[in-house]
Amino acid sequence: MIWEELKESLILTDVEADTSDDVMKQVGSKIIEGGYAKDSFVEALINREKDFPTGLDIDGFGVAIPHTDVSHVNSSATAIAILDKPVTFVQMGSDDDYVDAKVVFMLAVDDPKGHLEQLQRIITIIQDKNVLTELTTATEPKQIIEVIKEKENTL
Amino acid sequence: MKKKVIVACGGAVATSTVAANKVVELCQKNGVDVSICQVRISEIESNLPADLIVTTSKVRRDFGVPLITGMPFVSGVGVAKTEAAILKVLRD
Repeated sequence: MIWEELKESLILTDVEADTSDDVMKQVGSKIIEGGYAKDSFVEALINREKDFPTGLDIDGFGVAIPHTDVSHVNSSATAIAILDKPVTFVQMGSDDDYVDAKVVFMLAVDDPKGHLEQLQRIITIIQDKNVLTELTTATEPKQIIEVIKEKENTL
Repeated sequence: MKKKVIVACGGAVATSTVAANKVVELCQKNGVDVSICQVRISEIESNLPADLIVTTSKVRRDFGVPLITGMPFVSGVGVAKTEAAILKVLRD
């Protein structure tokens, strides 16, 4: 279960950012501080996002799932950020379609095949617009974990 | 005959892992014998030939192989249509 592995220190409910780079810095630095990724993680996220954007339009709701190469990661972790105001990301699979993301799931992945189930769960969670909407109303990390727990209980 | 599908994304980290698994499940369900090769976009060419390429990133090059976007496996929108397209290519 994802909710059992979520760390409150990696859940940010009120992130003020103007650009996607800014989001990477603020959220990525929490992952680095927690020891889950190397110091190169943020820069690697920013560079990878330019080549392979991670914005997703889920039925009109913008979400982004930034991640980068395993070489920058120490151990697997997921950070969740609720953005104070939407931040523009380029949509995955495009280079000029944009989406205004309100929620960001930042993934530190150290072993993709070993974490297939977790990755699938996260993808399933972010495909649910109702869950995403509910996440944006949360004011503290515990509520985020609770929303995800409830969703996972239905899977 | 076993079909070879290349599943590619930017870093072979997250989305192609999920998409590759979806393709495997789809083929198993439909009795298509398939081998999956999960790579980065930059590694597609060196892994050819293949019967199909599924990618979650933008690819402009024509590899001379049918290419289907696996984005619906990530966004959840349009999955059935994508599955039908994949099966059509692999059954031909």
